[in-house]
Amino acid sequence: MSIPDFSNQFDSVVDSSLEWLSDHGEFLFNGLNVLLTGTYKSVLWCIAYPPYYVIAIAIALIGWRVVGVRFAILSGLALLFCNVIGLWPETVSTLALVLTATVLALVVAIPLGVLAGLAPSVDRVVDPVLDLIQTLPPYIYLLPAIALLGYGPATALLATFIVAVPPAIRLTSLGIRMTPREFIELGDASGVTGWQMFFKIRLPFAKPSIMAGVNQSLMMAFGMVVIAGIVGSGGLGESIYGAVRTLDIAKSINAAIAIVILTMILDRLAQHAARSRMGESQ
Amino acid sequence: MTTAKIDNNEVLVDCQSVWKIFGKNAPAAMNAVVQQGLTKTQILQNYGCVVGVSDVSLQVRRGEIFCIMGLSGSGKSTLIRLLNKLITPSSGKVLVKGKDLSSLTSAQLREVRAHHIGMVFQSVALLPNRTVLENTAFGLEVQGVGKAERFKVAEQALAKVGLSDWSSHYPSALSGGMQQRVGLARAITADPEVILMDEPFSALDPLIRRQLQDEFRQLTKELGKSAVFITHDLDEAIRIGDRIAIMKDGVIIQVGTAEEIVLNPADDHVAEFVAGISRLHLVKAQSVMTPVEPYKVANPGCDITRLAKTSLDADINELIELTMKSDRDALAVVDNGTVVGVITLRDLLRGVQGIPNEFAASSAASVLEEST
Repeated sequence: MSIPDFSNQFDSVVDSSLEWLSDHGEFLFNGLNVLLTGTYKSVLWCIAYPPYYVIAIAIALIGWRVVGVRFAILSGLALLFCNVIGLWPETVSTLALVLTATVLALVVAIPLGVLAGLAPSVDRVVDPVLDLIQTLPPYIYLLPAIALLGYGPATALLATFIVAVPPAIRLTSLGIRMTPREFIELGDASGVTGWQMFFKIRLPFAKPSIMAGVNQSLMMAFGMVVIAGIVGSGGLGESIYGAVRTLDIAKSINAAIAIVILTMILDRLAQHAARSRMGESQ
Repeated sequence: MTTAKIDNNEVLVDCQSVWKIFGKNAPAAMNAVVQQGLTKTQILQNYGCVVGVSDVSLQVRRGEIFCIMGLSGSGKSTLIRLLNKLITPSSGKVLVKGKDLSSLTSAQLREVRAHHIGMVFQSVALLPNRTVLENTAFGLEVQGVGKAERFKVAEQALAKVGLSDWSSHYPSALSGGMQQRVGLARAITADPEVILMDEPFSALDPLIRRQLQDEFRQLTKELGKSAVFITHDLDEAIRIGDRIAIMKDGVIIQVGTAEEIVLNPADDHVAEFVAGISRLHLVKAQSVMTPVEPYKVANPGCDITRLAKTSLDADINELIELTMKSDRDALAVVDNGTVVGVITLRDLLRGVQGIPNEFAASSAASVLEEST
């Protein structure tokens, strides 16, 4: 068999298996689509329904509690600015997408990370999969995702979910494995059960690392905003993608500013939330 | 120092020819040791295994502080971890209060560790996210004791180590010495009969270390606990231990009281350790005192009842201090209310050199005879 033959055959196998999957898995993928879109829509409704100033004030208040007064004022003003440039609906829908994807990612990643941290056999399976996900360019899995889930927020959510999962798994399992030896000995010598060892000793030591993972997942999700725009996420990503296609520089810069504002606000909030958790130990 | 009367013959921890061999081929290496009697070097060459603890037998009795002294790599840290099965022995038995640890289920083992055998670590291992009080109460928390009850007991333990004022602080606010006190309080809170001390004071500076050594000994005796105390410092072992085991290359070379070891070292290795040890705290009044009659003959004008009084087991250091405070050149040694001997300046000088008085049927001499 010559090389072009082989490659043609491989391509047709991939194509036909994708076809098979979309034919036979229709029920499954439709269900997934409905589930993802539904989750995204309900989150979006929660933050898009109130007027813009309510959300801005709410985030400023959270910022005041978690970070400080200066941050609260700046973040409130920055969010109002998003409205001034006429991008409030887009900002809100991007926020909804990123938050939904990150939360879903954490729900999967943290338990999996804990398992991988405790059981080397799980880690041996998970690790290469994560390597694959992290090295694979997102465009590669966008096409099949569109084929299976269609153009729209479900695909965008899935793509964002996929990049948000690995850092949280990695940092959670690292944190669980990092428990200092003497504390494991302390637990054993005190007669702890397996659960007590996990909750009273391993988890507190893993917390900073897990929180770093949460932050990383959030940042990865923000990094996917524009790519998600290509597959129909709506929001700022789609504004930028549209602006790029029509070479509308002003519009693209406006949307970029809104993304930067959102990213910085959430990054600081997540970082400070993590720090105040650890604050007990300082 | 008065101590409660306890049955000193009850063996709490019984270690019966215990071995620990580390490495992939450990079981095969263990077999080779049993069947062919290979040495440590042969095991390393033939099996690639390291012998951590080699045929160790020891008994820790109730109320006794048992020191295991050895340099790094001598296997002492491995040995102490065999006593609560943090490390499982390759061969031999460890019995705690008569129960063979290897025969216990994991629940029973947890029970033994929680109630009978506590541990204090060199690194202290205080959980940084918990206050001093919460750390102290950790053992009881693990056992499922209610919050109010376990905090009450923990407060009492903290009071015993003099840290009542620090209970709501986090460990990072405490100095090394204070942290080690919390470690001790944590071990006491669970009220075990035996406390395993793994080089607890090694990382502290000398002054704090001495202070803690004294406090530890006093507290352990007051509470009637037994302790196994690991150290690389013979001075520390002598200061704290009722009995001392000297360990080298995984083997216990000699077990005995400080006096026995200093006066009669088992081999050159021990002799080398002992060489630099001051006799000031080891030689007791009864070994150097001049009996009453010869003293009266030599000093007819002296009323011995008016001399400053001391006891049979006062060491040379105390005797020197007493003599310096007194306006006379002699001390009366009193036992059960009667004067049984006199310590003169000559006796003191002899004591510093570690030579017993030729008059006294010194206990040191009799110990020598017994052990040879």
